[in-house]
Amino acid sequence: MRPIKKEGIMEVLLVEDSPGDVRLTREAFHHAEISVRLNVAVDGVEAMAFLKREGEYAEASRPDLILLDLNLPKMDGREVLALIKQDLNLKTIPTVILTTSEAEADITKSYELQANAYVSKPGQLDAFESLVKSIGDFWLTKAKLPQRRQSG
Amino acid sequence: MRLPGIDLDPQVTAASEARYRGLLEAAPDAMVVVNQAGEIVLLNVQAEKQFGYSRDELLGQLVTNLIPEGFAERLIADDLRSAEDALAQQIGTGIELSARRKDGSEFPIEIMLSPLESADGILVTAAIRNITVRKAAEASLLQMVEELNRSNEELGQFANIASHDLQEPLRMVASYTQLLSRRYKGQLDSDADEFIAFAVDGASRMQRLIEDLLSYSRVGTRGMELLPTSSEDALQQALMNLRASVENSGAVVTHDPLPNVMADEMQLVQLFQNLIGNAVKYQSSGVPMVHVSAARNGGQSWTFAVKDNGLGIDPQYFDRIFGMFQRLHKRDEYAGTGIGLAICKKIVERHGGTISVESQPGRGSTFSFAMAGAERRL
Repeated sequence: MRPIKKEGIMEVLLVEDSPGDVRLTREAFHHAEISVRLNVAVDGVEAMAFLKREGEYAEASRPDLILLDLNLPKMDGREVLALIKQDLNLKTIPTVILTTSEAEADITKSYELQANAYVSKPGQLDAFESLVKSIGDFWLTKAKLPQRRQSG
Repeated sequence: MRLPGIDLDPQVTAASEARYRGLLEAAPDAMVVVNQAGEIVLLNVQAEKQFGYSRDELLGQLVTNLIPEGFAERLIADDLRSAEDALAQQIGTGIELSARRKDGSEFPIEIMLSPLESADGILVTAAIRNITVRKAAEASLLQMVEELNRSNEELGQFANIASHDLQEPLRMVASYTQLLSRRYKGQLDSDADEFIAFAVDGASRMQRLIEDLLSYSRVGTRGMELLPTSSEDALQQALMNLRASVENSGAVVTHDPLPNVMADEMQLVQLFQNLIGNAVKYQSSGVPMVHVSAARNGGQSWTFAVKDNGLGIDPQYFDRIFGMFQRLHKRDEYAGTGIGLAICKKIVERHGGTISVESQPGRGSTFSFAMAGAERRL
């Protein structure tokens, strides 16, 4: 089943600085047969520019889902998460923390900052693929999301 | 010289003075007797040696020349102290001060004071012990503790590095070699397939090693307080975690009623899990039979035993199996990183016990460990 809404293809913003992880996520969505447009921001500053449609991102579409790594250059994932959840317009976008950290402090902090879910990147390909598939199945297919508002 | 007025009768005075001198000279420490003005009125040969003065030079000298701080103040205080305080001081531990030799050099001392009644008032006898050696030993002990703390901290940091900085690139190697293998298997030549398979296997093994190394280090760093814990509940939890391998092997795990013990529950679960997991795993053929029992070990302690009917272990390896990365089998016979029993040992030792094994090849093994009991109801 393709999770296609009437506005078109699902938009995912992946905030991730490792090219290997970006490609792996792309492959995993492909493997799960979930069609998404995977937009990539390689650091927190770029992620916020994308979400606020600043500069070169003036035409960026509003993501249906944000996958956010915690350890990022310039502005880390915790700061990005805080900014998203303080922003009246952005706070309704489901934001899933996708990181290697399994530290209790990171998990607690992320939920305190209103992360919608916290998942650790598994070390094995199969497990990573099935994780991305479950995220896609749930957040892009099963979960009811607020109506996408036109850019304002 | 005459000890001032210990007794009014000159004959008796002379006798008791001689006796007192004898006692002073027999003492292993430097001894000085000081009057209320802080002047030295009597001393022994040890005092001459320690301070580098001759007896004549010391007699009549102010004690502050030898012990600049902390002693003279006490002479005054002594007058004000109650009898109980004075007694406490007599039998109490010494006071640590600094002393000065004739040549100006200083050394650490411990002094014990005791009051001595005399016709001229209270004299104070001070036993002065040179504690240079003890101080040096204390300092070196303190330094060793600091070094130990530092190296422990470094080890903790290493575990942190292993958890992140090593796992990160390794995850890339593992994931992409797995992707290569899946997408291109049979499309290159047979050499390529074999090479990729070795790469996949190597990366996976290294991941397991790092994970196990981390759980080993976490026994120390993430350990919880020891609380009254039901070892039976811990065993049930371990069996839940092992359900797949128990079911696959058809193993029968039985147990006696198990006591409450003082334990970190998570670690007790892990201990049972590792021991029973091994018992189920190291089997040649037939149904693995595992029995867990506990026997009172005199007093408050319990000895647990995990007995199996597995391969058994040659006694020459009894010590070795509890070491890090120690394996007795070829990798294609029984997989594993060789950390499981090292973790068990670390857990038991953290609980103040020891772990041991009794076994004969072909006749099963029994692993035993002791834990303090918790009689308090849970």
